[in-house]
Amino acid sequence: MSEVDNSSWETVIGLEIHVQLATESKIFSNAPTTFGQPQNTQASLVDLGLPGVLPVLNKKTIEMAIKFGCAIDANISSRAIFARKNYFYPDLPKGYQISQLDDPIVGEGEIEIEIDNRKKLIGVTRAHLEEDAGKSLHDKYDDFSAIDLNRAGTPLLEIVSEPDLRSAKESVAYLKKVHSLITFLEISDGDMSQGSMRCDANVSIRKFGESEYGNRTEIKNINSFKFVEKAINHEIQRQIDVVENGGRIEQETRLYDSSKNETRPMRSKEHANDYRYFPEPDLIPLNISKEQILEIRNNLPELPEEKKLRFVSDYGISEYESQNLNSSKELSMFFENIAKKVRYPKNAAKWILGDLTALLNKHNTEIKNSKISYGNMINLLNKIDDESLSGPGAKKVIELLWESESSVDEIIHAEGLDHVQDEGDIERMIDTIILENPKQYEQFKKGKDKLFGFFVGQVMKASKGSANPKTVNEVLKKKLSQ
Amino acid sequence: MKISEETLNNISALSKIKIDDDIKPKLIEDLEAIMAMVDEMNKIDTDKVEPMSHPIGDAQNLREDISDKNIDRDAFQKHAPKTDDGFYLTPKVIEQND
Amino acid sequence: MTNLTSLSLLEQIDGLKNKKFSSEELTSDYLKKIHKKNKDLNCFISIDDSAIEKAKECDERISKNKGNILEGIPIAHKDIFCIKDQRTTCGSKMLDNFISPYSSTVYEKLSNAGVITLGKTNMDEFAMGSSNETSFYGNVKNPIDLERVPGGSSGGSAAAVSANLCSFSTGTDTGGSIRQPAAFCGITGIKPTYGRVSRWGMIAFASSLDQGGIFAKNALDASLALENISGFDPKDSTSINKKVPSLLKEASSKDMDHIVGIPKSIITNIKDAKVKNNFEESIKILENSGIKIKEIELPNLEYALPAYYVIAPAECSANLSRYDGVRFGHRCEDPVDLNDLYSRSRAEGFGDEVKKRILIGTYCLSAGYYDAYYIKAQKIRNLIKESFSNAFKEVSSIAMPTCANVSFKLNSIQSPVEMYEQDIYTIPANLAGLPAMSVPSGKINNLPLGIQFIGDYLKEGIILNIANKFQEQTDFHKQI
Repeated sequence: MSEVDNSSWETVIGLEIHVQLATESKIFSNAPTTFGQPQNTQASLVDLGLPGVLPVLNKKTIEMAIKFGCAIDANISSRAIFARKNYFYPDLPKGYQISQLDDPIVGEGEIEIEIDNRKKLIGVTRAHLEEDAGKSLHDKYDDFSAIDLNRAGTPLLEIVSEPDLRSAKESVAYLKKVHSLITFLEISDGDMSQGSMRCDANVSIRKFGESEYGNRTEIKNINSFKFVEKAINHEIQRQIDVVENGGRIEQETRLYDSSKNETRPMRSKEHANDYRYFPEPDLIPLNISKEQILEIRNNLPELPEEKKLRFVSDYGISEYESQNLNSSKELSMFFENIAKKVRYPKNAAKWILGDLTALLNKHNTEIKNSKISYGNMINLLNKIDDESLSGPGAKKVIELLWESESSVDEIIHAEGLDHVQDEGDIERMIDTIILENPKQYEQFKKGKDKLFGFFVGQVMKASKGSANPKTVNEVLKKKLSQ
Repeated sequence: MKISEETLNNISALSKIKIDDDIKPKLIEDLEAIMAMVDEMNKIDTDKVEPMSHPIGDAQNLREDISDKNIDRDAFQKHAPKTDDGFYLTPKVIEQND
Repeated sequence: MTNLTSLSLLEQIDGLKNKKFSSEELTSDYLKKIHKKNKDLNCFISIDDSAIEKAKECDERISKNKGNILEGIPIAHKDIFCIKDQRTTCGSKMLDNFISPYSSTVYEKLSNAGVITLGKTNMDEFAMGSSNETSFYGNVKNPIDLERVPGGSSGGSAAAVSANLCSFSTGTDTGGSIRQPAAFCGITGIKPTYGRVSRWGMIAFASSLDQGGIFAKNALDASLALENISGFDPKDSTSINKKVPSLLKEASSKDMDHIVGIPKSIITNIKDAKVKNNFEESIKILENSGIKIKEIELPNLEYALPAYYVIAPAECSANLSRYDGVRFGHRCEDPVDLNDLYSRSRAEGFGDEVKKRILIGTYCLSAGYYDAYYIKAQKIRNLIKESFSNAFKEVSSIAMPTCANVSFKLNSIQSPVEMYEQDIYTIPANLAGLPAMSVPSGKINNLPLGIQFIGDYLKEGIILNIANKFQEQTDFHKQI
């Protein structure tokens, strides 16, 4: 590790995010887009690029692109013009990719991120539509590469940021913001592990104060938020080390290897650098009317920022809690469905962000796979709110809810957590505890007031956490003062 | 417009067509003759003219987002040069690319 | 029995309907003739003897009065139109083994109309050529003179109609590949408005220029056949969504008035005196039939040829990238790596003319040349479209020769540019996307030549009507 002072170096980062649009069929063919199907069972004639086939544009992809453009306040082009990007690779059946060059459907826009409690605007240069390539598998056979064209033709929205990002952290914040936007707009499921959202990072360094950009490298193959941060930080350090040691940064593409946490140059690709773009002759430029754009803009679903603020005012939760509850559309919906039905939404926020999230993390899954339903959470929270279930008791119940199919009531009963409401029971319990703890009783009578807590603890223990704390306090006071 | 052998090598690499050395001279001769004819375009000033990429302007054929699950992989692969287990096979590519 | 194979399409339809003969007889006669003549003409790449069985089925339907409009009519398809589970080669070694898993719209439409396919006709490789001398399957000979070319790229389809091996055939026209062979072979050929005929299943050469069309013995036959391949196809984004009128009705209408424009500068510059003379005679014939003639300007057409030889190669260089030996078509033996697979499969699979055009196209699109060539050519294209547009404000159709000369001897043209110049009169209509057709206008040294009529967008009916009027006054079209 270099011991030089990295603080004199400024990092400049731009992200290119490829978002798979959640359509039923592909962008230029009517093959289905279902993930995980047997190889080449979702590659139609058009996707295979057979002689004589032709592309026809899926109208939903235009609508989704416009939605995104409206959400980031970008200019929407009045025409959708496609272009051919020419290169040879087995996962690109036609030998060209239908993409957009000079007239991207979405023009300049901006996305606000929050980092260290500061807000920062990140410019979006453009977002355009294109078709995805298939997959090449190089490890299946010894002497061959295996080509699966299921993914070929899946619609992609490529979102290109200005080089406005200055750290790996900012990059992650931007990526998360894009993720929440695309999920809230319902244009993609944003699942990085399945490749619905992919990120390439362009990274360069320069001395603070310099206006020229340094040579940049493009980092590919980053498929999680965690790896984005690691890959970028690694590359920044690598570049600093190279330059500090007298070398120069080559403009190249590097692959991120997550197992070794390093980037290495990609072997010169079969892709020619000269893509020879020209307008796609098989697709007539599509007119996009102002009316169409206005209608989409007026019907945008509630965006994460708006929802965040609304949660604070509607449900009395903190900004911080609201931010976290809006980290995904699903989580925000989960919370809101519950918050509307319980007495204290703030409690709902606390329990969802606390114990439920802990369970989700423990089982490495997301809210959509939660083993605890709305109904269960509502029941649980009702019991907490009317104090028939104590805090520790609720913690136990929620864990058991995850593990079993039983209802809240069933678990409470099974664990004997039904509140010992009966004063008589509590009195008897206290009597027993006093008898079993004569020393502490003596000390308390002599004036050691702190031991009150000890007795409370003992009662809670004896009642397995189910005794009503208020009642315990009252009865204990009475008993101990006798 | 002269076309050097280097240029020919570049464009044949871009278009993935192997050209044997012995035919290069004649090929260059032919290509130069064609480009000389093409250069006639320079005789007219087109500065103020818009390029036209499609002869018709108003077809706006769009497709509804409905998928057709009737994909007969076996029929499509029946006469494919080299397949196995539904995959198309090519010589092994060394680097990773996705 | 009259020679059934020399009957026109309309005569055959009438004959079948009125039970003068059966489809089985007609088909059998054609097949016999094809097997006999193909050795000399080489105009068929594949011949479908099972057509006889289909003919029997057609006769059944006709006898029950359930026949479709072209029921039982035997025809030939240019081997560029895909037919499901059948070989479609596009005249190339690259697709010598290609069995298409689907059918083209042109094939489907004609099949639904009841035709019987006799076979697939020979063509210049990937539709690139003007003489049918670039086919992997050998040259096609002109039936009128076996030492001469039939024209190209649809040489096989033209020769087939000219030799009475079918009453009509399909072809494609990107720079003149229907009209020029029609002129060379003494028959009628029509290329409709760009977008009128679906390109689904029609193997692409130059996407913004390719159009499917018809070869027939006369304008009325051509109009009925064209009607039955035209129409909107949602599988083709460039397909025009407008109703197809009854072209036969329009072609035979007595109520149309015409003003035919003659482009002054083009006619003055016709090099061959006999060709010029034939054109002028043809114009007189039109005038005698009551058609008004007007001299017009049609500027910038001299730039059509160079612009075409940028745009067509550019588009074809991309359209032919899919031929890589991976999913279909020719694959070289034992490729050592990916690059070898591509470079050798393509070097082996493509002929010389195709390679040249791919190289030219790649060059014109490459970094540094795109503006000077591709964009420049697209600008010229716009100018040409504008020239036609202005002309059509004054006239309803434009006439000019189809070709600068009659058919030439096989192997006589070796220079690529000289070959390209065969298309100087036909290319402009492709660049503008306008409908155009050629009809026989006489002979020079016993070799036929044609007169070309160009119409405004979607005005096939007008040029067919003019052609029909011309054919009512002449008998050149009856000389095959």
